[in-house]
Amino acid sequence: MKKIYFAFLTFIIAPLVFSSCSDFLDEPLRDRIEQKDQAAISAEQLVNGIYAQFTSWEYAFAYIGITEIISDNADKGSSETDTGTDKHLLDALGYTSSNESVLSMWTKWYKSVGHASNAIQFTTNANIGDEAYKNRLIGEAKFLRALNYFFLVRGWGDVPIQEIDITTRRPKEEVYAYIEKDLLDAIAVLPEKYTSKDLGRATKGAAAGLLSKVYLYQQKWQQSYDYASQVINSGNYSLESDYAVLWRATSENGPESLFEFQARGDAPALGVQQYSQTQGATGETGWGWGFNTPTQKLLDAFNAESDAIRRDGTIIFSNSTLYDGRVVGSTTNPRYNLKAYSSANAGADNTDKNIRYLRLGEIYLIRAEAANELGKASEAFNDLKMVRDRVKLTTTTSQTKDALRKAIWHERRLELAFEHDRWFDIIRTGEAKAAMAADGKNFIVGKHELFPIPYLQILQTPGMTQNPGWS
Amino acid sequence: MRFKLKTFFSQKKNDSLLSKSLMLLVCLLLVSTFSMYAQTKSISGTITDETKEPLIGVTVRVKGTTVGTVSDFDGKYTISANAGDVLEYSFVGMTSQAITVGSQTTIDIVLKDDAVLLNEMVVIGYGVQKKADLTGSIGSVNAEAIMKQPALNPMQSVQGRIAGVSITNNDAPGASPTVVIRGLGTALGGRDPLYIVDGFPVDNIQNISPADIVSMDILKDASSASIYGLRAANGVILITTKQGQEGSSKIGVESFVGVKTIARRVKMANASQYVNYFNEDVLATNPNSTKLLRPGSEQNYDTDWYDELLKTGFFTNNTVSLSGGSKPVDYFLSFNYYNEKGLLEGQRYDRSTIRNNNTYKFFDDRLKFMQNLNITFTNDRPKGFGNFNTAYRQSPLVPVMFPNGKYGTAIWNTGTGLAGYDKTSPTDEIANLNTHGNPVFQVDNQNELNKTLTLQGGLEAEFKVTDYLKVNTRLGVTRYYEDGRNFTNIRRAWLAADVTRTDAEYDAKREQESKSAQWANNSLLLTDIDDFRWTWEGFATFNKTFDKHNVQAVLGTSRERMNIRSTSRVTVYDVPAQEQYWSRRFASTEIPPLVDQYYETARALASYFGRVQYNFDSKYYFSGTVRRDGSSTFRSNGEYWGTFPSVGLGWTISQEEFLKDNSFIDHLKLKATWGILGNQNIPSNANAILTSSVRGDGFNSNYIFGPDQVINSGAIFGSPAQDLTWEKTREAGFGVDFSFLNQRLSGSVDYYDKLNRNAIILTTPIYTSVASQDYYLHAGQISNKGVEIMLTWQDKFANGISYQVSANYSYNKNKLKGVNPGLDGLTGGSLGNGEITKRFVSGQPVFSWWLYETDGVWQTQEEIDANPHLSGAKPGHLKYKDTDGNGVIDDRDREYFGSYMPTSNFGINITVGYKDFDVSLYGYGVAGNKVYNGLKSARFGGENIAADTYNDRWTGVNSTNSHPGANKDKKPSNYYLEDGSFFRLNNMTLGYTLNDKLFKGSKLRVYTTVQNLFVITGYSGFSPELAGNGNPRDMSGIELDAYPTTRNFLLGFNLQF
Repeated sequence: MKKIYFAFLTFIIAPLVFSSCSDFLDEPLRDRIEQKDQAAISAEQLVNGIYAQFTSWEYAFAYIGITEIISDNADKGSSETDTGTDKHLLDALGYTSSNESVLSMWTKWYKSVGHASNAIQFTTNANIGDEAYKNRLIGEAKFLRALNYFFLVRGWGDVPIQEIDITTRRPKEEVYAYIEKDLLDAIAVLPEKYTSKDLGRATKGAAAGLLSKVYLYQQKWQQSYDYASQVINSGNYSLESDYAVLWRATSENGPESLFEFQARGDAPALGVQQYSQTQGATGETGWGWGFNTPTQKLLDAFNAESDAIRRDGTIIFSNSTLYDGRVVGSTTNPRYNLKAYSSANAGADNTDKNIRYLRLGEIYLIRAEAANELGKASEAFNDLKMVRDRVKLTTTTSQTKDALRKAIWHERRLELAFEHDRWFDIIRTGEAKAAMAADGKNFIVGKHELFPIPYLQILQTPGMTQNPGWS
Repeated sequence: MRFKLKTFFSQKKNDSLLSKSLMLLVCLLLVSTFSMYAQTKSISGTITDETKEPLIGVTVRVKGTTVGTVSDFDGKYTISANAGDVLEYSFVGMTSQAITVGSQTTIDIVLKDDAVLLNEMVVIGYGVQKKADLTGSIGSVNAEAIMKQPALNPMQSVQGRIAGVSITNNDAPGASPTVVIRGLGTALGGRDPLYIVDGFPVDNIQNISPADIVSMDILKDASSASIYGLRAANGVILITTKQGQEGSSKIGVESFVGVKTIARRVKMANASQYVNYFNEDVLATNPNSTKLLRPGSEQNYDTDWYDELLKTGFFTNNTVSLSGGSKPVDYFLSFNYYNEKGLLEGQRYDRSTIRNNNTYKFFDDRLKFMQNLNITFTNDRPKGFGNFNTAYRQSPLVPVMFPNGKYGTAIWNTGTGLAGYDKTSPTDEIANLNTHGNPVFQVDNQNELNKTLTLQGGLEAEFKVTDYLKVNTRLGVTRYYEDGRNFTNIRRAWLAADVTRTDAEYDAKREQESKSAQWANNSLLLTDIDDFRWTWEGFATFNKTFDKHNVQAVLGTSRERMNIRSTSRVTVYDVPAQEQYWSRRFASTEIPPLVDQYYETARALASYFGRVQYNFDSKYYFSGTVRRDGSSTFRSNGEYWGTFPSVGLGWTISQEEFLKDNSFIDHLKLKATWGILGNQNIPSNANAILTSSVRGDGFNSNYIFGPDQVINSGAIFGSPAQDLTWEKTREAGFGVDFSFLNQRLSGSVDYYDKLNRNAIILTTPIYTSVASQDYYLHAGQISNKGVEIMLTWQDKFANGISYQVSANYSYNKNKLKGVNPGLDGLTGGSLGNGEITKRFVSGQPVFSWWLYETDGVWQTQEEIDANPHLSGAKPGHLKYKDTDGNGVIDDRDREYFGSYMPTSNFGINITVGYKDFDVSLYGYGVAGNKVYNGLKSARFGGENIAADTYNDRWTGVNSTNSHPGANKDKKPSNYYLEDGSFFRLNNMTLGYTLNDKLFKGSKLRVYTTVQNLFVITGYSGFSPELAGNGNPRDMSGIELDAYPTTRNFLLGFNLQF
């Protein structure tokens, strides 16, 4: 009996004696790799992470909403009842401070700025022997930070500079100065070209090109002219001879390209998520959701100019055959965005489409505009002619400064249609009221120039002021 | 709630054996002790109840000694005693008797039914206790109640029976109900109660056959539950399974068959109505449109999709059990097979359960080994619930099959105005009516089979050191295997989506992209899950009475490791069409398979616990519990440990001198409890720096560079991970238990106040900040306050009719509070059309409705222009209130509209017995909740609507101000929100018992049951009982892809011999 007694107690007590509790509770992670066991994060990875933001879903749907659908170039598209959450409100200029797309991009751009700042700080402190490589990484991050701030300042005017204070809006002049500094720093350290494996990273040309555009927005004509010239004269870029191929897979990272959002269509695919799907045609022969469709007004503008090349390089028409042989039959909407069309991946989640962010064609137009303002009419004419010659259009000589300015602005509309620039252009040039009215939309001067600060942001940081006209 | 079977069999005795046998064991453990001393005289006799049926397992004891025995199968006993000794006869549920031994050698005893709940024993976790001695709130359900409400999952049988235990059913084959005890106390942590089966914690009880259960005890309050400390915040459900019993061998057979049909059906608009509705929509957009549907009478089809979709469900359940015991071994062995066909074609679920519970006894029961083994196999062929949604929306103009033998699709000819693919002129165009598929095809094309095997076993040793001290140790393990396959016929789905598509076209696509999974003939997803958990516990129990001081104490420790889990998922393509070849081996070698395999992080728990229960003269009660728990969940900050104390106090007033002789009051007890409970099942927090694999992490940090498009690894900064610790819930409560009028009226009233003091919420970092991911932090409090009332009246009429009426009611108020501005605001309740319906806001119940407020219908364009309106508003659209008065209608105008969670739950249960007949009626209902009719809201247009909605729609100026017209917007508003109150007649049963009729010693009860004979509700959809997956942020309270409530007719019998 005693034996059992002891055996039993041992049975109970043994596990207590032989197991140390904290060891027992120190359960190793198996579902993810702990920070300490991961290969150390490299500076380059953090920089890559900033670029990766371009592939996110926001750039497919919210982005087209607040850069294109909102403008006179594009309609919401899709079916009457498919609002795309808030795209109908953007299309009708009926959006408010609770607009989802506005909040999405506001957030995306600030987070991207944050990723860039983190990468800059990390890289600066990192022990990297190759000084040129280190500076290049910092330069890339600064270029990307400037790119994101440029979206913010164009969209909202005075905005917080995250590195200074996330709750207080800074005058837009200060924000522009911040962007200029980042880009100048980037120009100083970025290479003109990369070896093949790094193709797609920010170059000196991309930074200079962007800077010329940043100056253009501030009407700093001389600087704008200078940096546009720097790009054009660098010898690294030339216009694609055929406008039609500009947005095709074949011309990705081509001679005209300054900067693109990179996408891979083959498995494992990694493209801008659903960019081609959201804008793909709908209906019997469709392959997408059918959003962001070219307006009748845009079509009229192409036709008025007899600009068949750019028209057919921009618009998919129903009952037509595309360059790759795809037969488009009856569709829900009469027109779709060809620049978003992916031949290989059609309506798949991951597009193979590189989104052209900045290309030489626009740099010519920037320089033309700056030159015209600087009184260099003939240079302006020549730059404009470069762009028009490619699409077999004649260019009127001896225009007045004012007429030439208008011509350049109009050229921008046709050349850069659906390249996510139209809305900011018409606000910049002051043409918005008239342009939107022509499209049947009521643009309220003093209000619609800027997006509203998202009300959820104001809920978080109640001290932040709202833009005029918005509540 | 009674441990003892009562009204089920009109003559109780053998049939209640199983319950009694358990009690016998318990009595043996706690009360009786044995001795080998010689006695002078042998006394024997037979113990029966008032109906002369022998009672088995009655404890017979010589007062003041350790001498005792129990009655055998025939109610006979033999005991040695001296003349002058007092023999005590006791049995749970019966009034004890004491007889002084005189000269007689035969003493026959008739024990009277105690008729009350007070002497029932309840399982309290590491012990049992007389109900009368409880200081906390414990709800119990016995085998009878479970048997009377036949279901797959035993929790379903508990619905409406215990105040404070809210159960939302799901009638889908193989589905588990959602159980919430005393309100939802967490927003993001684990919500399920802790299930303990025979002492062992388990993940769920889906593998337990209800026929194997002898009792379920639900620990509702903190002082009861805190013995399970860290995991008790959502309540604890203790399940005891059946045991064999010495001296009686028994065979039991329980069978039932039944049919299931949908309990409530919504009448949809027919073809003519649909045509009008569709055309009105078209004309509202374009008044000059000529592309209109021809009238319904000219259309070729008028499909009632629910007629086509819904089948009659059929289910069978069969249980065979063997039980018995001898001096060294008691055994219980059962086999159960449950099989169900659901409402959708091909939807099936079956489950086989084998249970073996044995007890091995040594040294006159001083040492016992209890072994439990449960083996469960399930086969599940699920069908998507989304088909109920599609059937609602699909147009009646669409046929199930077109005349050409292809599945019907939502197309029409805009030239002829007829639905279908026929073209009569070259200018005819075919357009879509809507974007929905053919639900009959979708059901047919879903081919999924999930098989599971659950092995659950436990071994427990119990050693009585002395008559007041025993020591237990037990080891339990659960191993779970899941083997699933999901076959998708991609080619067939592609062809069915459009009648003009041909196999040749598909072949051409395949030719073009031979390595693309998109154009594979089919895909096969193979899933393998292997899960393991184990528990070890050791505890000592002290139980002694010193004069009028009764003391019971438990001291123990436990170790547990769970979620030791691996998952493997492989998707392969182009397997042969025949099911027998569906394996990875025969798949395409061209198209690379998608392979994923991973382990989960196990969770380890270590605990020390102690409990003291003391009472003085059964008048004054004290109970104190402390548990110290460590969980590996908190590894990141090393703060493993938490301490969880609780106290319970009781005062049985009826035992006081001044009430003792009161003829009205039999029992009256006041109770008060206080305790702290923990929840360690909390979400894991984000890492600060994030890297992604190729999509599938919800974000991407990688990027493409170079002409070869190489994916370069990237990383981004997430959000600073916050240290998380236990969610701790403080609960205080008090209550009263009573029994009046010679125990005819009994019941209890309880009040509780629960506060999760550091609730974890998911919060969005400031938009302009660097932090990019939502992160978890302790930032709020969740309060649940409520009242529970239970009342039972039972009596017998002189003519032999006995009856019992019991009712229960519980009220609970749920509230999130104390969240700093800007940290709450998480949204949920997505309708799948880009709209959300719920928001997590401080000061409201967890995830309450957050909707636009309607203010009638726009009648004219002038009215719209003159008032704040949504962009795109048209006459016939719903008009929304500009609640913030800023002149625009947007999210800021959304308002709080109550919660999907009922504030009131109530049940009423009536049982009547007369001679060999028994009748019972169980009803269940809820009130105070709002449900969202998501079916009614538009998605992408061209959808069908309910006939009632059609009849009441807006058709023109001043036609109505309450329903929108055919053209409407999709904003989520209170128009779709309805009162979710309902009352269901849960169960109506008529039973008839034949004793000895079949053959001597047999007992046969035949019965018929109707479940959900009727549902009273004002809700316009299918069912207001919408648990979703139980997550308050998801579909709870929203009818969209929900399985409807069914009405079930059953026939069954129970046989025992």
